[in-house]
Amino acid sequence: MADLHKKFRVAVLSVVKHDYLPRAVAAHPRFELVVVTDDAAHPNWVHERNQRFADEFGISYLRDIAKAIAEYELDMAVVSSEAERHCDLAVRAADAGLHVIADKPMSTCLSECDLLVEAVNRNNVKFLLWNRNFLPAVIQAKEAIQSGAIGELHAIHVDFYFSKDAGPPKGTRQLGDLPINWLDRQLEAHADGSDGGVGIEAMGELQIEGIYPLGYIRMLTNANVRQVFARTATHFHQVNVDNHVDDLASVSLELDNSIVGSLCIGRIGSASHPDIGEIKIHAIGSKGGIVITEARPEVSIHYRDQPPLEFKNERIANENDFLLMDDFARALDTGCEPILNARGGRDIASTVFAAVESGKTGQPVEVTQ
Amino acid sequence: MSYETFSGPNDNGRQKMIRLALIGQAKAAKSYGAIRTRLHRAAWASFVPLTTSDGQAGQALGQVTTAPSTEVLFTEQANDFDAVVIDADPGQTEVLAKAAAAGKPALAGPLLADIAALSQAYTMLMPAHTWRFLPSIQTVKRSLDAGKLGAPGLLRIHRWLPPKATPESLTERILPDADLACWMFGGAPEKVWTLQTPSNPNYIQFHLGFANGGMAMIDIACSLPAGGDYFSLSIIGGTGAAYADDHHNMNLLFAGDQPNALRTSQGRSDLAGQLQEFVDAIHEQRQATVTLKDTMRAIAVTKQIIKSASSNHVIQQKEDN
Repeated sequence: MADLHKKFRVAVLSVVKHDYLPRAVAAHPRFELVVVTDDAAHPNWVHERNQRFADEFGISYLRDIAKAIAEYELDMAVVSSEAERHCDLAVRAADAGLHVIADKPMSTCLSECDLLVEAVNRNNVKFLLWNRNFLPAVIQAKEAIQSGAIGELHAIHVDFYFSKDAGPPKGTRQLGDLPINWLDRQLEAHADGSDGGVGIEAMGELQIEGIYPLGYIRMLTNANVRQVFARTATHFHQVNVDNHVDDLASVSLELDNSIVGSLCIGRIGSASHPDIGEIKIHAIGSKGGIVITEARPEVSIHYRDQPPLEFKNERIANENDFLLMDDFARALDTGCEPILNARGGRDIASTVFAAVESGKTGQPVEVTQ
Repeated sequence: MSYETFSGPNDNGRQKMIRLALIGQAKAAKSYGAIRTRLHRAAWASFVPLTTSDGQAGQALGQVTTAPSTEVLFTEQANDFDAVVIDADPGQTEVLAKAAAAGKPALAGPLLADIAALSQAYTMLMPAHTWRFLPSIQTVKRSLDAGKLGAPGLLRIHRWLPPKATPESLTERILPDADLACWMFGGAPEKVWTLQTPSNPNYIQFHLGFANGGMAMIDIACSLPAGGDYFSLSIIGGTGAAYADDHHNMNLLFAGDQPNALRTSQGRSDLAGQLQEFVDAIHEQRQATVTLKDTMRAIAVTKQIIKSASSNHVIQQKEDN
């Protein structure tokens, strides 16, 4: 019988990105952050951010992961490092018998995702890939589809346009200017929380954010993507041009059960939307269809001297973070799988990598299962 | 680019009213009759019903002469009108040939058959692409043309229809959105990829790749239950975006149970706008903003979309011109 009052002791394995993930863990009454830890051999900015977070929460920062695991009687780890380190840290935590929550994207490399799936299975631990599947409107979509209101699902489409900017616009690089360094730009973006791609390896918008819309599609269809055809472009930001990664993409999806779908995604710039971006779900079934705006419910706020970049519509009743942690606590208590486990995250990553390849080749690409 | 020229309706420097003839069914007469007071510099003069039972339908257009046939219209009554509007099913080549022979500008649609032959006609022929003249679409295109949105990057269209509003042929279903995509991007796509599953013939999804990284993702579903349709068009540009979405234009009706969504109508501004453009082109002695070349391009792309669906291959083609 699980102890439903047990408080899980959590190590933060690196917190160099915007730190919503460990904050969400800390905010749930069943979880307690007890230490921040990372490997010693990292540049100062990594340690500075880890230390700052540890200081804010009044916990220690150890530059030795093995020592932290040995000394803090941990139940789980939260990984919020650069994307290229996600899997390595998660595998090490799993091999130490810790349950793991990792930030998106799962990895910059599919083979690492496979290693993580193996490690989770091998060690019989739970893994949650961070996602937005508990947003109120997404839950509404799920309930409508699962109730059979639109009949048998035939097609699903997600628009996922983030309106945050990403540095100088495309075309602003002057003769003699050096290309924008990816990591430098991401470090700079930390101030406004738009550093989702922090790390040395440059990633396009598909890689950075594709998990979210593909997470919706996976949950709403309960099906795997088998083949993709994608178009990718650098349309907005000089940093994406200089680093040869997309900031706009469209992907045709062929899924199990004869379901088809599509994803349109981009970092479209703050001028292109009054809020965080146009994010919508369209689903067509044998009996009807449903159109969902992901941001709802929301409240509009307008006032004199309002900063131009302040969102005019504020999301309300957003319990995504809490519900994700509730879901993970349930998984730990009962042994069930969390809403997006390692296998699911790996399959989404595989879809993303196939789409990136299709964008380069101009041909359909089968998704590695 | 050379433009066809034709006689404008000027009389010693004064503009004349364009006298229009309509060839169509009662439904067309009713639709055009409903917008007749909105027309500038034109009025209806003649009507040719396509079926004898529609003989009285011309009354909707005001004081018009009803001709018993197109033959009579273009011979005995040829001096009673300046231009002709043909609103009929595809295959109106013969009527258009008569209009050409009589030197009458024509607005005609839908044009799907023998269209290449029509391009030889010397008369100004404006194909009816009514979908371009919806107020929402016109607003998006104006923003794009004004440079507000920057270079077009991604066009997304959802068009969901109940069976009653669904065109019979796949070509007719696809053509409007294939045309909108080409129009927005200013050319034909370089790549076409289509998904259509055998188990669901009422659904098609096509993915178009344009020059300079442009892309369009379009789905057409013809399986909505009886009742309203749904249309959404968004275009993401380099410096801005436009969202023309029925979802944004829904009001609520409470009559028990869940509220009903009521879309606020755009009226028939599309029909009025298209007809006014036809009239203005005649007055200004210029080519209309919609040309046969546009229709031929949209038909060619539509064929590629269907070919991709049947072959399960990416169709690659550069625009000829």
